[in-house]
Amino acid sequence: MNFLPRFRLILPVMLAALLGAQAAPAAPRDDLLAPVCTGAFGDQMAALQSIARYGVEGGGDAAAWALRVVEAFDGRALRCGADAAFIETGDALLSAATLEPVSAAEAGELSSPSVNLRLRAVSASAAGLLTLMTAPDPAAREAALKVVSKRREAVTADLLERIAAAEADPGLKQAVSELHASMLLNDPDPQNRIQAIRAIGQTASQRNLSLLTQAMSAEKDPQVAAEAQSVIAGIERTLAAGKLMSVLYSGMSYASILFLAALGLAVIFGLMGVINLAQGELIMIGAYSTWLVQEGLRAAAPGLLDYYLILAIPVSFAASAAVGIAMEALIIRRLYTRPLMTLLATWAISLLLINTVRVVFGSQNLEFHQPGYVSGGVQVLGDFIMTMNRLFAIGIAVVAFVAVLWLLRRTMFGLNIRAVTQNREMAGAAGIDTRRIDWMTFGLGSGLAGLAGLALSPLYNVNPNMGANFIVDSFMVVVLGGVGSLLGAVLAALGIGQINVVIEPVYGAVAAKVLVLLLIIGFIQWRPEGLFAPKGRR
Amino acid sequence: MDKVETAAGDQALQVDGLRVAFGDFVAIPNLSFLVNFGEVHGVIGPNGAGKTTLLDAITGKTRPAEGRILLDRHTDLLALDEPKRALAGVGRKFQKPSVFEALSVRENLELALRLRPRSILGELRSWSDPRRKARADEVLEEIGLAARADTPAGALAHGQKQWLEIGMLLMQRPKLLMLDEPVAGMTATETAHTAELIRRLRSPERAILVIEHDMDFVEEIADRVTVLHGGDPIFEGRMADARADARVREVYLGR
Amino acid sequence: MSDARVHHPGLFRATAGAIAVIAVALPILGGVMGGISPYFANIIGQIATFALLAVALDLIWGYAGILSLGHGLFFAMGGYLIAMHLLKAGFEFSGITPDFMIFMGWSEFPGFWAGLEHFPYALALIVLLPGALALVYGFVSFRSRVSGVYFAIITQALTYIAMLLMFRNDTGFGGNNGMTGFAEVLGQPIGAPSVVIGLATVSVLLLLAGFLFAGWLTGTSFGRLLIAIRDDEARLRFLGYETLWPKLAIWSLSAVLAALAGALYVPQVGIINPRLLSPDLSIEIAVWVALGGRGALSGAVIGAVIISALKFWLSGFAPDLWPFILAGVVLVVVVVLPNGLLDLRGLLRQHPALGNILSEKRNG
Repeated sequence: MNFLPRFRLILPVMLAALLGAQAAPAAPRDDLLAPVCTGAFGDQMAALQSIARYGVEGGGDAAAWALRVVEAFDGRALRCGADAAFIETGDALLSAATLEPVSAAEAGELSSPSVNLRLRAVSASAAGLLTLMTAPDPAAREAALKVVSKRREAVTADLLERIAAAEADPGLKQAVSELHASMLLNDPDPQNRIQAIRAIGQTASQRNLSLLTQAMSAEKDPQVAAEAQSVIAGIERTLAAGKLMSVLYSGMSYASILFLAALGLAVIFGLMGVINLAQGELIMIGAYSTWLVQEGLRAAAPGLLDYYLILAIPVSFAASAAVGIAMEALIIRRLYTRPLMTLLATWAISLLLINTVRVVFGSQNLEFHQPGYVSGGVQVLGDFIMTMNRLFAIGIAVVAFVAVLWLLRRTMFGLNIRAVTQNREMAGAAGIDTRRIDWMTFGLGSGLAGLAGLALSPLYNVNPNMGANFIVDSFMVVVLGGVGSLLGAVLAALGIGQINVVIEPVYGAVAAKVLVLLLIIGFIQWRPEGLFAPKGRR
Repeated sequence: MDKVETAAGDQALQVDGLRVAFGDFVAIPNLSFLVNFGEVHGVIGPNGAGKTTLLDAITGKTRPAEGRILLDRHTDLLALDEPKRALAGVGRKFQKPSVFEALSVRENLELALRLRPRSILGELRSWSDPRRKARADEVLEEIGLAARADTPAGALAHGQKQWLEIGMLLMQRPKLLMLDEPVAGMTATETAHTAELIRRLRSPERAILVIEHDMDFVEEIADRVTVLHGGDPIFEGRMADARADARVREVYLGR
Repeated sequence: MSDARVHHPGLFRATAGAIAVIAVALPILGGVMGGISPYFANIIGQIATFALLAVALDLIWGYAGILSLGHGLFFAMGGYLIAMHLLKAGFEFSGITPDFMIFMGWSEFPGFWAGLEHFPYALALIVLLPGALALVYGFVSFRSRVSGVYFAIITQALTYIAMLLMFRNDTGFGGNNGMTGFAEVLGQPIGAPSVVIGLATVSVLLLLAGFLFAGWLTGTSFGRLLIAIRDDEARLRFLGYETLWPKLAIWSLSAVLAALAGALYVPQVGIINPRLLSPDLSIEIAVWVALGGRGALSGAVIGAVIISALKFWLSGFAPDLWPFILAGVVLVVVVVLPNGLLDLRGLLRQHPALGNILSEKRNG
């Protein structure tokens, strides 16, 4: 038999190879682990960093192993034996290198490695890095990224590059890249630094601006400094534009609420010459109705809770309209020829409403749940985020504007309103039921205020006294815009809203109001009837 | 009734190319006419013909888009504000009686006299001036309200309020006296009384412009009439001729 | 208001008489004879200042037809000025730093406080500053014929903004703590019973003076001019009167009276804070006048007294009830008694049984 001798040779070699193959992966891990147990403090630190590197570079299984080890160290579950490290989990003992269970006897005598704060910082950093690499859930990765940004002890630029490349989620990818870039900013090679600057400059944000400014202050190389300078200037321009848009946007949302409130006022004043000092409270009722819808849904149909804002649209309108109609029917109808008395009466009603609400609901601010569709926003430019809650307010105002315009121009009801506004007696003689028009119009004006209350509930505080904040401005809108003019109300609301929002952060809310008032007083000198005078003889 | 021959007196009021518009609505496109001193001039026309707008333009309540209004040949009314036009000699009686209801008849009349047109303080100090009381007494006689001198004006009957208002205008001896529907809502007796009052008011120093619907009334008191339609003067002349004019009949009288 | 002027000479005399009696009784009963506690006298004094404030508003609203819903601004101006005087005078005299200064972190008063420790100067400012503000604001508004409801709204806005301004600490008037810590007035300790009664008596006397003055003024030809302005300003202009100046005159006078009232109010409550500037308070003044009956000064006094007394009484044991009562009162007055309580006489006369009794009393 000739092949037997060959077999005799091959077998040991194969065995050795098999054994060697099994042993080969273990050996590097053992080498990595050793200094953690036996080394001096500096070596321990280096070892942790190496383990992290090993994990990131190896990926997959290696990374999982590295994470396990580092977490064990961080959690004080690592144990050091004579020549190997172990992990203690509850009542079992695992080999740190293989993660296989071993018996206590095999492990022998164990001690804990020395751990200090510094080392824990490193292990935390390493853990973060590895979690960033391996965790399946993006939220967990995001959290890990936060850790890594703060604790850089185990982090190097090339590791980050690797992780960024492997990252699937685009947002996270960008964030990791930015972190990578900021590390690169400290790279010894000027070309790399320039690259990093350009990369960071892609995203215009306040954070990147300070990052670059900081880097530039320490920069010695003129070429790099120049690059940083120009990129910084670009970011600043974008940020400024974003800020401007943000201000305008805020102004628009405030103007939307003002518009809704003032529209109701203008409708009522235009028709009946009634100045409704209770308009602010009708807004408040709208807001409270919205809250009640929310609470009702919470109790009866929690699954629909998110839709409370939508459901509240008709409810807030109806609630305020109902109160308004009651006001009109019970009290105001008796006072039509005496505008100054109606002023006092509506003030008394406002007092009544505020205190009734206070007694029933208490004086505290109401809590509003933020459904998904009014949370967050769309990033538009620089730091300007177009928030959804403001968009909601603007949307409601636009819809209301269109609806009222259609109502006034295209329906019989609207025609009747306009007729009675211009000449009550003639309209009555023409067969229009002026009484009905009166209370329906009052209801419309009040309902609009209710919508204002709905629109502002995601934005402003809701409490019994909230009406006062809007009433003065609403009056200014009516005075400025001219009575009975829809377009005037829009323009006036926009103007006043924008001025308020622009001046407020710089000089304060009071200065804003003072300025608006002075402007209006000045404007009235020139055009006492407001932007758009009512047509026809009054 | 007796009619005074229209004297060829000086022009008291001259309206030239008047145009008044409210936004898109043109109330008066192009109006020119004259009123002479010593004359009673009627302005008639259907509702919306622009009669009241004309008075508004003359007294200053409305600004015309174009045109010229001269008082007594040399006073450009459009350059003055309302109080100054009144002081220049324009007196207007409104359609709705607008007397000061809270004040007595006498107080209303005394208030209407401006002895010191340049200063209100001076005016108030002259309140006790005997001339004021004397003039008020005169006018009280003229309008026939001497017996009610101390009644609050708000307590007067409708017709009496109209006379009081005319009386207030008389206090100032206006050069141009404009009466906007002076007999609106009056009984037959009151109307007759008013016609007589207006006839008595005729004077060479005064021109009287009367806006009215009541045709018979206008015929009694007016020397000449202008017929307005849509702000356009379609006839000017004697009332009797107006009734005969074809255009006027078609537009207004309907018979 | 197209009602005939409600002329109640009897009521006017009665009211003036009542005020005079109180003015005399206070020092006697409060000081020498006892019977009125300083606390009670203090309340009377406060109510007297409110009544004066109501008279000030009735002058412009009841007689010239100008409604101001921001008269609290002038009231508060007088109050702040007198407070500044009291603090400065007290500091100069005793050297003790008032709480207000400690709160503001000052070691000495700012420059514009100079001279305020002298009462005549302070008094002059109390008359001149609100008057000047009223002149300016009135001129600007009346000239452009801003009137009626628009005017009222803008006065509201003005006082609201002043309130916001004063709530800020860096405006320099104590922020929402206001100014307090008055030690003495005209050299006398402010808490002493005799001073309390003295202040109350002065308030009542000032009310009497203001009331009589207003009564005289409205009876003159100027008063008649104002009534004409109220009832038909357009007509008056067509009669050749420039109505700007009479309105401006009465408006400024009203502001000064309100400021004087405020200057007496603040020492009696011992504090001034920006809440005095709140629009609600200014509207309440109009409520006083409307309740009592505007255009007949007694009505203003009566309305102010009734409502303030009610508020004081209720705040003792049911402060939460007050807004409801106030609102109820206003609604009743406005709907049922358009001319305020003065209408009550007319209404009663219409009632068959009572009416006969009343007429009998007059005739028999």
